[in-house]
Amino acid sequence: MTPRIELLRFITRKLAAALPLIFGVTLISFTLTVHFGPDPAYAMLGKNPTAADVAALQRELGQDQPFWQRYASYLHRLATLDLGHTESSGEKVRDLLGRTLPVSIRLLAPGFVLGTGLALLLAMFAAWHRGGRLDRLITGISVIGMSLSFVIIIIALQAVFGVWLGWFPVRGWEVHGPASYLAHVTIPTLAFVLASIGYNTRFFRAMLVNAMSTDHVRTARAYGASPTHIMRYHVLRGCLLPITTRIVYSVPALAISGSLLLESHFSIPGIGRVTYQAILSGDQPVLIAVVGLSAVAFALTVTVADLLCRLADPRIRLA
Amino acid sequence: MSFARAACAAIAAMLILAACDQPGSDGRDRVVYRHAIDGMPASLDPAHAANVYSSTLVVNLYDTLFRYRYLSRPYELAPNLASGMPEVSEDGLTWTIRLRENVRFADDPAFPDNRGREVTASDVVYSLGRHFDPATRSQGAWLWRGKITGLEEWIDGGADPDRRIPGLHAADDMTVVIELTEPYPQLAHTLAMALSAIVPREAVEHYGREFGVRPVGSGPFLLKQFDETRAVLKRNLDFDRGALDLAAEGHDPQRHAELGLGSLDGEAYPFIDRLEIHFIAEPTTRWNSFVAGEVDNVMVPPEQADRVLDSHDPLRFSPEIEQRYHTLAEPEAGFVLYGFNMANEDIGHHPDEQIDSANRALRCAMRQAFDWQERNDTFYQGLGQVFPGVIPPFLDAFDPALDAGSTARDPQQARSLLQAHEWTPETLPQLTYGLEASVHQRQMFEQFRARMSAVGIPQDRLRSRSFASFGDFSRAIANRELDLFLMGWTMAWPDAQYALQLFYGPNAAPGANSFNYDNPEFDRLFERAAALEEGEERTALYRQLNEMVIDDCVHIGSLSRTRLHLWHRHVRMLPDREMLGGYFLRFVDIGAAP
Amino acid sequence: MNTVRTLSVHKRPWSVVRTDHIATLVAIAYLAAALGVWLGLWADNWAEITGTMWADPSAAHWLGTNRLGQDILVRAVASTATAFEVGLAVALSSSIIGGLLGAVAGHFNGSPVDELILWLKGTIDAIPFYLLVVAIAFALQGHAMAMHLAMILAFWTTTARVVRAETIRIGQSGFIEAARAGGSTASRIIFRHLLPNLVHVLLVQATLVFVAAIKAEVVLSFLGIGLQDSISWGLMLAEAGQDIMAGQYMNFLVASLCLFGLVMAASLLADRLQDRLDPRTRHQRSVDIG
Repeated sequence: MTPRIELLRFITRKLAAALPLIFGVTLISFTLTVHFGPDPAYAMLGKNPTAADVAALQRELGQDQPFWQRYASYLHRLATLDLGHTESSGEKVRDLLGRTLPVSIRLLAPGFVLGTGLALLLAMFAAWHRGGRLDRLITGISVIGMSLSFVIIIIALQAVFGVWLGWFPVRGWEVHGPASYLAHVTIPTLAFVLASIGYNTRFFRAMLVNAMSTDHVRTARAYGASPTHIMRYHVLRGCLLPITTRIVYSVPALAISGSLLLESHFSIPGIGRVTYQAILSGDQPVLIAVVGLSAVAFALTVTVADLLCRLADPRIRLA
Repeated sequence: MSFARAACAAIAAMLILAACDQPGSDGRDRVVYRHAIDGMPASLDPAHAANVYSSTLVVNLYDTLFRYRYLSRPYELAPNLASGMPEVSEDGLTWTIRLRENVRFADDPAFPDNRGREVTASDVVYSLGRHFDPATRSQGAWLWRGKITGLEEWIDGGADPDRRIPGLHAADDMTVVIELTEPYPQLAHTLAMALSAIVPREAVEHYGREFGVRPVGSGPFLLKQFDETRAVLKRNLDFDRGALDLAAEGHDPQRHAELGLGSLDGEAYPFIDRLEIHFIAEPTTRWNSFVAGEVDNVMVPPEQADRVLDSHDPLRFSPEIEQRYHTLAEPEAGFVLYGFNMANEDIGHHPDEQIDSANRALRCAMRQAFDWQERNDTFYQGLGQVFPGVIPPFLDAFDPALDAGSTARDPQQARSLLQAHEWTPETLPQLTYGLEASVHQRQMFEQFRARMSAVGIPQDRLRSRSFASFGDFSRAIANRELDLFLMGWTMAWPDAQYALQLFYGPNAAPGANSFNYDNPEFDRLFERAAALEEGEERTALYRQLNEMVIDDCVHIGSLSRTRLHLWHRHVRMLPDREMLGGYFLRFVDIGAAP
Repeated sequence: MNTVRTLSVHKRPWSVVRTDHIATLVAIAYLAAALGVWLGLWADNWAEITGTMWADPSAAHWLGTNRLGQDILVRAVASTATAFEVGLAVALSSSIIGGLLGAVAGHFNGSPVDELILWLKGTIDAIPFYLLVVAIAFALQGHAMAMHLAMILAFWTTTARVVRAETIRIGQSGFIEAARAGGSTASRIIFRHLLPNLVHVLLVQATLVFVAAIKAEVVLSFLGIGLQDSISWGLMLAEAGQDIMAGQYMNFLVASLCLFGLVMAASLLADRLQDRLDPRTRHQRSVDIG
């Protein structure tokens, strides 16, 4: 069997294994948001409705259909990528996602890159000087970072930069070019880095410490190889896998969870805020699109991560 | 690995990310006005325009038959798409409305050859009729249901726009005739609401569900861009309503001298080429944007009130503010109030007369225990107007001589009321206080509960139930699950009837009578008043109805918030957004910036 | 200049030991404050309006009052009890669920039961954390324990994953084989042989969940779907977000310091526990943003 065919089979198997996952995610989220979720009908009624108005609207929204029928039609729509229209404005959900997703990416990308990069850097210093003063300092700071609630960070940044100093806009997203982009992205980026750096540093440090206790790293150090050399060729290569996996795994969760808080608090028209508003108003077409698509994205991510593992280290043969 | 190189790469990546966003550069517009409002419209379909945010956009994108005069107070109707005021028959049952000629819908792919056509009487008929098609999901159907001859049969027959509604039809291309089942003087007001704006059937059918984000109207502006943060509108060059007649709009050279509107008299409007409406819900940001000059107006958030005021009573802006900006302080056309669920026999109506009166005593005691002044001070900077009943001071029917005792805190009287009717902590009912889950709502609950426990109603007798969405809160009220709740009521027309309908029996939940107040005498008088034209008899009836509500202790209230508006000196306008409107935007002009 | 350090000896400098002692003391202080609230000794009047709007610190109100005139110190202390209630309820329940399901899955490694539990776990992990919690909290709205249940349902998976891995490791070590050969039933093996060996893993996981639950409560209360009719640091922070616009910082400072102190102490203790009991296990997914 040629390696290429083996790889193809591997990918197919992984994707097939993702199907039950997608089924589970859609079922759970559909049950939660549609069956138990908020009732959008009452927010869409006029000031003085009659019981007949209520019934007519519920029929119009399809709330009178049985659960399984609604779930089946939802699956069908997801499979054919027919996402429908939002309940609030009637805009196409696809247009809505196309409009808000890029905002979220631009909002989160700098914080994600900086947060991961800085954490990796700090972790390298800490691991190199393991047990030393620098290590204790960095570990201590990362515990402090982990203990800070995201909410505290957001309020503090808003108070300092928005109310007190007034240097940056604390809300909204009026981006018309590089300058306004920087102005709007700075505070969310700072918040994101502060919130994630503690966890990341600790994790990376643990991985690096593990990798550095291998014999060949110790040998290399004993022979006086330069720290950059050792880090690059021995340590980082050794723990590339877990680090990559973690980074890749955190992307989909980040896209929703991270943006949910940031965007709903800073009033940024990204996917997180739209999702949160949809949860609050029970806008089901939006919700099922977001959850359904994020399930697919997660399944794909897992496959990609496994694939990366395999490519990086051909010795791994996943059954 | 060079960190400098990595940093360069990172900066480059950020620039690329930033560059993805292209500003909508469709040429420079000469005169731009940037208006900030404190919320975002969900949909721009007139049939959904039930709040001030969608109304602000809808009345500028579409035409309504009537509108309110720019500066006249009390509010006065004027023809808009109609060529004159309606002709009403002697019995008040037949209304004839003639339309202005040569008004065109904007060019749009929905029309043949992309060319907008003339607005006709059948468009008016279609626009009102579509409210009764369930697929429209109308929020305005209640305004006309049961009022128009033959409407119910037409709805039962499928609300088919191709079939004739007996009481709503086009007599000719430019004349609409409405036949009513009973006199309905408020009809003219409903035809000034954004809900009644005139839409072309072609666009509704062409865009389907997307019609809510693709408006096609005949109003003074056209939509260029619309997202969660702002809407950009451009002047509709086909819009022609002749010259602005300031005197007819209620301009008083003395009273309005400060506004600098004089030079606009006799000019064709709208005066601005581009109108940006920014949706900024967050108070601090709204304020900062205004101070930084990013928007031209601001509704001052309560937290900032002390920065701009010299004195609260009488209300006076500080000299620096007066010098730098135009200022306006006006009460909202609406109010907030607490209401009881009268359908709950533990606290509301009861067939047993003795229990009924004990329940009334309990409600009255709770009303005397509550402190509106404290509420006003903690949440509205003491700027709100507290008044008894539900007829707010800006209305003609408001009675300045009405006893304000029902809004004053009187713990002594509350205790003695409870005592007289043998209410003890053991016999008091368990009450559910419903609230929307927000910080202020929760704090208002705690304040309410603390005031109740001060007169001997223990904390555990009041249980809060919070709802994360307005829809769920409304559902609980509609299903009569809440015993006590705070609600806001925004007036859509300047007539006490709009407020008193909150207590009209047939409107009981899920209708506007969320309190399920059921008093046949009230209903009888309300029906009589509703059919009357404006006048002394009607005012007297309104006042009587108001007093019945106060006597029965159905509600605790009320309070009208005061809105503080500031706008930059070079902007010539009066930004009055009450009566769910944004009609003033067509009259805004921008002078030379300082 | 870099000198090569000795790495073989696991150094425990005195300062680290002292940090742990401080963390223990801080945790005990918090617990004492919570106990006092439970016993009704103090802070049962957190809902009462005892002062004027936004009063400065004084003898009557050591840390001032909030917008309504409620005592900030009293509310902060009352919130301590809430934090423990939430943290303990969620940690305990998710340890039990996660421990049992993890042990069962690990014991029947590769069987359909294992597959089913893995599928459930994978499904829950695939839904973004806050989206899941918000959706559950919403679905159970009105229920007093809605938020607790939401967190339990979201948190048990981490525990289950760790326990499952540990079970498989123990299973490979041989003595389970021996028990099975001796004719023990599956439930006997799980309860008699496996679970006692999993206690340390569960303890570490429970502490981590405790911390995560307290932090998640803050976020949920901040979003307005947290506790009903109660007081917590999350609710205080939500209030503080409004106060700050009016230039009032006390609510924010007090609530965030209280929260920070407890979370930090608990995190440090979890670390120590982990190092002492099993230096190899490392938590990976927990709430990264929160």
